Amino acid sequence: MGIRFKPHSGAVLGYLAAALVMVYLSYSLPMLLPGDFVTAMYSGSDVALSSEQEAKLRAFYTGEEGFGGYLLDLISLQWGISFAYRVPVSTLFLEALPWTLLLMGCAHVFSVFFGFIAGVEAAWRRGRFSEKAGVGAMTVLQGVPEIGSGVLLLLVFALNLGWFPAGGAETVYSEQTASVKTLDLLLHLALPLTTLFLAYFPGNFLLSRASMVMILKQRFIQTARAKGLKAVRVRYAHAARNALIPMVTRFGLRFAFMITGALVVETIFSYPGLGTLLFNAISMRDLPLIQAVVLISSLMVLAVNLMLEVAYSWLDPRLSDGF
Amino acid sequence: MDFETLRKLSRDPWFGAGMAILSVVAALILLGPVLSPYDPYDMGFRPLSPPSSGHWLGINDGGMDILSELFMGLKNTVFFGLIAASAGLTLGALVGLSSAVAGGALDRFLMRMADIFLAVPPVMVLILVAAFFRPSPRVLALALAFLGWARSAKVIRAQARVVNGALHVKAARRMGGGRVYVIARHLMPEIFPLYVIGFAAQLRVAVFMEASLSFLGLFDPSRKSLGIMIHYALRYYYMDVWIHWLLPPVVCLTLLIMASTFLAVSLEKVFDPRLKETV
Amino acid sequence: MTMRIKGLTVSYTDGDHSLLALDGVDLTLSPGRITALVGESGSGKTTLGKALIGLLPENARIRGRVCLDGSDILELSEKERNRYRWQRISMVFQDGQAGLNPVMRISDQIAEPLIRRLGYGREEARPAVQRRLEEVGLDAGLAKRYPHELSGGQAQRVLLAMALVLDPEYLILDEPTAALDATTKNFVFSLLRDLKAGGRSLLLITHDLELVSGVSDDVAVLYLGQIMEAMPAGELLTEPMHPYSSALVRSFPGMDTVRDLGGIRGDAFYRFTHVHSHRDGSVHEHTHVKAPGTVHEGGHAPLEGCLFEPRCTQAIPECRTGDVGFTAAGSHSVRCLRGGIVAMLVMEGVCKSYGSVQALESTDLTLKAGEVFCIVGETGSGKTTLAMVAAAALGPDRGSRLFEGRDMDLWRRQDYRSLARRIGIIYQNPGEAVSHRFSVFDIVAEPLRIQKASFGPEEIRNRVVSALNEVRLSSAPEFLKRYPHELNMGAIQRLCIARALIHDPVMLIADEPTSSLDPSVQAKVLKLLLGLQIEKGLTMLFVTHDLGIARKVADRIAVMLAGRVVESGPAKRIVNHPSHPYTEMLVESAKGTAAPSLRIEVGGNQDEGICPFLHRCRFATERCRRRYPEVAALDGGHHLVWCWNPRRSSSIMDWTQG
Repeated sequence: MGIRFKPHSGAVLGYLAAALVMVYLSYSLPMLLPGDFVTAMYSGSDVALSSEQEAKLRAFYTGEEGFGGYLLDLISLQWGISFAYRVPVSTLFLEALPWTLLLMGCAHVFSVFFGFIAGVEAAWRRGRFSEKAGVGAMTVLQGVPEIGSGVLLLLVFALNLGWFPAGGAETVYSEQTASVKTLDLLLHLALPLTTLFLAYFPGNFLLSRASMVMILKQRFIQTARAKGLKAVRVRYAHAARNALIPMVTRFGLRFAFMITGALVVETIFSYPGLGTLLFNAISMRDLPLIQAVVLISSLMVLAVNLMLEVAYSWLDPRLSDGF
Repeated sequence: MDFETLRKLSRDPWFGAGMAILSVVAALILLGPVLSPYDPYDMGFRPLSPPSSGHWLGINDGGMDILSELFMGLKNTVFFGLIAASAGLTLGALVGLSSAVAGGALDRFLMRMADIFLAVPPVMVLILVAAFFRPSPRVLALALAFLGWARSAKVIRAQARVVNGALHVKAARRMGGGRVYVIARHLMPEIFPLYVIGFAAQLRVAVFMEASLSFLGLFDPSRKSLGIMIHYALRYYYMDVWIHWLLPPVVCLTLLIMASTFLAVSLEKVFDPRLKETV
Repeated sequence: MTMRIKGLTVSYTDGDHSLLALDGVDLTLSPGRITALVGESGSGKTTLGKALIGLLPENARIRGRVCLDGSDILELSEKERNRYRWQRISMVFQDGQAGLNPVMRISDQIAEPLIRRLGYGREEARPAVQRRLEEVGLDAGLAKRYPHELSGGQAQRVLLAMALVLDPEYLILDEPTAALDATTKNFVFSLLRDLKAGGRSLLLITHDLELVSGVSDDVAVLYLGQIMEAMPAGELLTEPMHPYSSALVRSFPGMDTVRDLGGIRGDAFYRFTHVHSHRDGSVHEHTHVKAPGTVHEGGHAPLEGCLFEPRCTQAIPECRTGDVGFTAAGSHSVRCLRGGIVAMLVMEGVCKSYGSVQALESTDLTLKAGEVFCIVGETGSGKTTLAMVAAAALGPDRGSRLFEGRDMDLWRRQDYRSLARRIGIIYQNPGEAVSHRFSVFDIVAEPLRIQKASFGPEEIRNRVVSALNEVRLSSAPEFLKRYPHELNMGAIQRLCIARALIHDPVMLIADEPTSSLDPSVQAKVLKLLLGLQIEKGLTMLFVTHDLGIARKVADRIAVMLAGRVVESGPAKRIVNHPSHPYTEMLVESAKGTAAPSLRIEVGGNQDEGICPFLHRCRFATERCRRRYPEVAALDGGHHLVWCWNPRRSSSIMDWTQG
């Protein structure tokens, strides 16, 4: 199966180009602001900058190093200094990143896995009441934005019932054993994770079900059933494998839109990930921080999409280098 | 559009539900100024007061009437969505159609551009632009449209190409049909459903974006919006004010997004599912 | 072990309506015998196949018995049925590529039953897979490919190999010869005979009567769910005793039929047998054969042999000398409408390639006014390309075209619309040739609307009405509002004919206009087309793969192979005294007397300078390998053949080797 990695060249080029565009955008934006960026940014703070620091900052933000130099800086994790926190952006970013990865990673993995299987099974039982009810419920759920469900969960489970903490990722300042710490982590993770899961699951379920329904109508399913194979095998080895393909494509397309929701959820629950970081940066008008977080996150998103593109070409042998 | 499709649409429960909600929303927007005689910016009332006969939803922490805020916020959010959706779809449809009809180098170029635009996460760019330049909401809506044309362009182009290659189109050309004729009588009827479906989907996204971005504080802080209301109300979540201050905008927003979701779902179902590619 | 089907009745329920698909069918399948089930679409034949293998949908109600080994397999549980699926009974569907899983390799799909049902290991299964592939005449190397890399014919054979893999006793084949050309058909025939010799019992579901007479032992004729007649297969074509069987045979174009394409009385758009259950519990069965708004066909008005012989090019000298002046004024007898021998269309040296594929080699073609010219060839022979070039739908890479005396390319550039108005085109697939969003009225009126100018709504309406009448369709207002999905293919094709003729063209290009239609409908549409051709004096270029149809219809025939014309001449000569070995083979295949040969399919490219028939020709010599044959003219120059060793028939007179 090795010779099948031939991602659509147009898409690969697209991602590379987009990455360059983003970097260039972030590179040139500070220069588009009226006045001197550095002065505007740092003049309001109490910190007096040494002339050396000031010169370095100016070089970074006003493009004196040129685009190439900027790229090098990016690669070497020099992403500027935060105005509000007065530490390098990279420090803040790398502190927040693991939390976001934990939250988003779990949310996506669970919702895709369960959504896919639920969709496959629902399509197999098409027409029965349970399936119709499921589809109806999920359509309604799909209409509930993350803001709504997040706030509701917060109000009900954290404030009124007190089962879960209302914010943060962990309870700090305590000597705890590993197992207690883990439990603590999970409790904090529970509500934001549930919110995101509720937001992502319906889409995956409906998509999986819809693809399956279309696949089940196709002729080769009839052939597989006539071969006397077990129902489970027909369902998964034949049908679901084909249904997976559109799911991967559409997932990639939706991914960029899912970020907004994740941002909002982190903010609602004060979860110390990149979302909250960005939110704070925005409230404090910390332009360097905003710029860097946005840029690096976007690049990460592009990387994920690229990987999906490769996965897609591996899954569907019908694709060659054309469209 | 033939009558059969319209009839099918009207019978679909999702369509009915979506339209019902939207009609209520439209009514609220239109009647808003009448139902709440206060100026949303008037800060003269006692802050954080509970609901009363004069103020059905009470007063927020800045001394403004919440009900009036709600109506204005609803209006702003909806308008943002409408502008972004229609601009995005129209641009996308034009590009997709021209790309398919023109073919050749132009087609390849436009689709490469689409690939680039598709790859960029729109929310990120919007945040950057909003944070740096503080443009007016209208400009931001257009920016969202500008970032979002690629999706509908690709879908419409794909369908236009399929139709273009169909035998009945070839036959029409051979009978002497010119480009304009073919587009008008053969392509448009196939593209129109995609346009409508895309519109509903884009509307949903735009409303969601607007709410989220205003929640994050990216708009002019004095602009009234459902998102910013939630933002401020959330700060006081530990107090009892959440019933009349936090919930109403959340509920409104949820209903709004639900309505556009339902519309998108029912439109997709009713218009031939063959139209949907795996995009 | 004989399988006895007794009183099988299947109906599909939809609310309180039922559609009766099979009504009390009795049938016996014995080992070592081939049984054919003949019927048209809507007869219920596919339902029978699916019932035997247990794949009917949930809303099917089944009555009756299917006895095998003393027990009724309809009574089995799903689990037990799954066990005998594929192992005792297997089925080959007519889906071609669509019946194969697009993301699995061929070898995996064929081996799957061995691995999953019999517990073979992957290595063990491999030789078995190879054997099956060779058995159906495919190169074993195809095993590694994916379905989308195969041609339609190859995919169909893979389905067959897959059906044989567990060595079932009963094999059901659904339309095994649909859309195959004559030579591949012969191969399939011999393959089926081999399978039968191995002791299997075959059920062939088909509407191809050649398959019945050539291969089957018994045949049952099915109409609207009931068996009308059952008999030894050989007697279907010679001695049918039921009126329907006899009419079916008559509609089937073949070499033997002397009597001609008559079609069957009546025209059913919707063919149902309804079972209504009323509220009081009583069940009321009755049969509808709904045919709204049609005029009943005249029946079997004989189309004698070559109705066009008087105008046939065999009489060229007369036509040429009898320089009749313009018999103008809306004449109905089409006899050199333009006076003299004005050739309607003269093409010289036209060739066309698509990328690296040369679809059409340098070809000459002349169409004389008022004649019917048939181009006969296999798929890939270039016949459609040639027709489209003639129709001004395609531009050739090189060569000249003169239409009505004017340079076609020039005319195209100057005023395409006026050129388009003079030519009508009818396509093979009526379903795709019309937009499903157009109503009947829109479809027929489209050419007028395109031509814009000079047609007011009143006039458009009148013209549409008269065009519909001409093709024997209703012009009632309710019918005008109908959409294609409410009509059957035959009706849609008639709409296409009406559309092609509505602006009174002088030339009609028909690309396999009846290949996608049911046999009885074929006959009627052909008849209609020919009637109109005479009435309006059209010049018709008719493309087909079936020499039998060409024989009925053409004044002149050209046989094409690999982008070249290999023989051309008057229809009667081509059919009765074929000179090119390929033509000879086509004639024999159509008669059913060809010697079957096992052809392992290899995707070949035709080399320049070599006769394209080389690999299949029994009379090939060294010269055929070295140079492309020059043209030889027979019979006073009207019969042309491109061959180094043309066949001589006993009545050949003149020979001039060009």
